[in-house]
Amino acid sequence: MASHFRCENVMVRFGGVVACNDVSLDVEEGKIVGVIGPNGAGKTTLFNVLSRFQDFSEGKLFYREQRIDRFRPHQMVRLGLARTFQNINLFVEQSVLSNILIGSHCLIGNPLASLFWLPGARRTEQELTERAIETAALLHLERDLDTVVKHLPYGHQKRVELARALASRPKIILLDEPVAGCNDEESAELEKIVRRINRELGITVVLVEHDMSMVMSVCDYIYVLNFGANLARGTPAEIQSNPDVINAYLGKEE
Amino acid sequence: MFGQQVMSGLATGSLYALTAVAVVVVFRNTRVINLAQGDFAMIAAFLGIVFLKNFQLNYYLMLPLVILCSMLLGVLVERLVMRPIADTDWLTLFTATLGVYYILHGVAGWVWGRDTKAFPVTFDAKPISVFGTLVSEGHLFNMAWAVCIGLVLFLFFKYTKQGIAMRAVTDDPETAKLMGIPVRFIVLLTWAMAGFLAAFAGILLAPIVYVSPEMMDEVLVKGYVAAVFGGLYSIPGAILGALMIGVAENLAGGYLGAHYKTATAFAMIVVLLTFRPKGLFGIQARREI
Amino acid sequence: MNEMGAAGRRFARGNALEAANLAPEAAAHAQRQRLALADAKARFQKQNWVGTVALFAVAALFPVLPGVEGWMAYTVALVIIYVIATQGVAVLTGYTGLVTVGHGGFLAIGAYTSALLTKHYHTELITGLIAGGLMSAFIGCLLGLIFLRLSGAFMAIGTLGFAFFVGTIVNNVNLFEGREGISLPKNRILIWEIGDVGFYYVALAVFALTTLLVYCLVRSGVGRALMALRDAEKAAESCGINRVFYRTLAFSLSAFITGLAGVLNGHIVRFIASEVYADIWYSVDFLVAAIVGGSSFLMGPLLGGIFVALLPFFLEELRELAFILKGVALILVLMFAPAGLAEVFGRPWRAWRRNKLERVRNDGARVSRASLDKLTKLEAR
Ligand SMILES: Nc1ncnc2c1ncn2[C@@H]1O[C@H](COP(=O)(O)OP(=O)(O)OP(=O)(O)O)[C@@H](O)[C@H]1O
Ligand SMILES: [Mg+2]
Repeated sequence: MASHFRCENVMVRFGGVVACNDVSLDVEEGKIVGVIGPNGAGKTTLFNVLSRFQDFSEGKLFYREQRIDRFRPHQMVRLGLARTFQNINLFVEQSVLSNILIGSHCLIGNPLASLFWLPGARRTEQELTERAIETAALLHLERDLDTVVKHLPYGHQKRVELARALASRPKIILLDEPVAGCNDEESAELEKIVRRINRELGITVVLVEHDMSMVMSVCDYIYVLNFGANLARGTPAEIQSNPDVINAYLGKEE
Repeated sequence: MFGQQVMSGLATGSLYALTAVAVVVVFRNTRVINLAQGDFAMIAAFLGIVFLKNFQLNYYLMLPLVILCSMLLGVLVERLVMRPIADTDWLTLFTATLGVYYILHGVAGWVWGRDTKAFPVTFDAKPISVFGTLVSEGHLFNMAWAVCIGLVLFLFFKYTKQGIAMRAVTDDPETAKLMGIPVRFIVLLTWAMAGFLAAFAGILLAPIVYVSPEMMDEVLVKGYVAAVFGGLYSIPGAILGALMIGVAENLAGGYLGAHYKTATAFAMIVVLLTFRPKGLFGIQARREI
Repeated sequence: MNEMGAAGRRFARGNALEAANLAPEAAAHAQRQRLALADAKARFQKQNWVGTVALFAVAALFPVLPGVEGWMAYTVALVIIYVIATQGVAVLTGYTGLVTVGHGGFLAIGAYTSALLTKHYHTELITGLIAGGLMSAFIGCLLGLIFLRLSGAFMAIGTLGFAFFVGTIVNNVNLFEGREGISLPKNRILIWEIGDVGFYYVALAVFALTTLLVYCLVRSGVGRALMALRDAEKAAESCGINRVFYRTLAFSLSAFITGLAGVLNGHIVRFIASEVYADIWYSVDFLVAAIVGGSSFLMGPLLGGIFVALLPFFLEELRELAFILKGVALILVLMFAPAGLAEVFGRPWRAWRRNKLERVRNDGARVSRASLDKLTKLEAR
């Protein structure tokens, strides 16, 4: 399978803490890839590196064999990468529809044309709105389109964030703990949605999650990080029986 | 010449520091950029005149009375204006203090008039020689006071229960509340402290600039600049900023011309902010993602 | 679940329209979506067109009403200029979330650019407006780049520094003639000389244009991007919004609008001196006007500008009382209308509209043809 997105030997230090120590990750096109590890293993930091919110001191980043080490976060969206945040990071004062429309920002075309409502802009806007509604429908949010986000329950907000990420029509999406804090019902729902995103829309998914049952059931293969370093890689079955991984999670017996 | 400029710069700077420290203390405990800080001081100066002239009190009897009134004013502003809107965004709070500024300006103008008044206590204009540089008596007096106040603040924050509670509120108001610290009282105390500092700023500045409703406008701006210079959270930073601004603008005034004084302060702050967007000791980047 | 799958597939293909034909449920579904959309639009995008047009009509008729004299038109024009400057502040502070206490600087840049052109090259007003606006926008762009990493109180002090900087320059550089000032000849539009009433119409026209500009901005993807940056910067960047570009754009647009106000301000008085333009209180007053009016409402600057510009005017005689009243009024507005006067004034209109839409929406649950038509009509409004 072709490599869609890849990082090699990434190093990130925060003062004395080494958050990513020589981490490599290879995401294959069209797969659902899990990234797991104990708290503080550096998963979020790795995501921040991949979406270019975090600079790294050593290492390389490739998107379809193109070096992207110095890209800015907004350029990553142009490439086709979208992400969600571990702590919900929405435009809480705005409606769900506005949030999704903001997500489709990279599709508005020339900003000046949009600003002055030149002929094409009106049509673009119409299309984006329709698409935003479709995206909302995909995530069962169509009834909340006009609700201000801060009035929505937590599980809905998680889905709004996912909808916003999908609105940019990404080719690859990074999900940082999409079901954290959700109840079982919501988790099951989100699991289904993640599958659909992957199958029906053909989007590559990279998933950080502590909910092992979800990770094991949806992922094609899994990376395990521990103390900022690669620990293992393999299919869910391999990971579940890997002694290193079990040690990392349960603590090593001396 | 140079040494003299620096000395008088330090003297001016220590007066800016009184305002800058008050701005920082209020900001970090309540998120309020207090534009009325200068007016607290201005009112204090007018009250000083009233006590000295109309009541014929002596200087050291007047001082505690003015401090008391000034602290009361701070508390009053907190209770009447700031508390009802305490949980709005900082811009609303900022604008509200501007409202207080207008009101205090208007009141002072109404009661005492627009024209400048001489403060009854003045200093000998004859300079004294300290380590070979000439310093005016007034400057020396002011600097001595400023150092004393700095020391008092240091001891307050380090050793008293209220001071420690205040620092806790600065660090994390939510946790402080959970730990049983009476946050509202601390906020009130913060405003009282602003009044306390303002009383000194007003009384110490009055003999130098004459007393009028506008007397503190420039000092306020410099104090605010100094507070931002130090990063808005740091008291030592604010003091350092105030002294640097005092010295720099005095030098600029001496060598370039008087109208470059204020411009120098702003040039300094703009250059600093360009390279350190959160000030000298500001919290540069917090973890957000 | 069936129609969901259809919607999903269609999403994948990326073409939008034929879904409603897939199944009756899908059609109902699509209509629910449309209703929700209309509602959302009404609440967050549509503005009161009827009111706006009526307002401009009244304003246009004002100078020809019986009993209205030249000086009245002059005074109202001054207020309009104030409002335009405030619109500039609102673009930056209201929609982009960058607090500025330095827009007096842009006012000065606009005024001096046009004044110098008029004095040395005898240009007329339209050239002056374009040149002043563009010059101001250019400086705004530079300032936006310099202050790229500032926010909150730090941005406030930075912009205040900018206003001081401009003030020091016009005070001390000979070209600007400091306190002596620059006197301007009678105003011309192309080749025609205009008086107070003529100038009133020019100011009104500029105001109409800037209002249209802000309206277009707010409804466009660009406006959304600015508001996104205001509300959550990191999240905005993760949506592909180029922070550097949009912040600079906001600065330029905002400076452009206030620069236009500066040009008008210079030409209406026909005298430009550093005493006025080095005064940082202008900058503070613009900010106050924007906040009091409601800086994220189209009509906010109008209400706020009138509030701030007229209060001292009416209370000229009682100077100190005017100060006190201004402070009290400001605090009361902040306490009881924290979103600004425009929010309060707009309440009845929004309530009426919401009611009407609610009714249509309830009808829509029965999926009737008629309600769709009704909705379309309402949307077209
Ligand atoms: N901005 C930062 N400054 C300093 N240290 C940081 C920063 N971000 C992360 N760290 C540290 O880096 C390490 C990795 O953190 P990270 O958030 O990536 O872990 P994580 O695997 O996402 O954990 P969790 O499962 O709890 O979300 C931690 O020790 C954390 O304290
Ligand atoms: Mg994490």
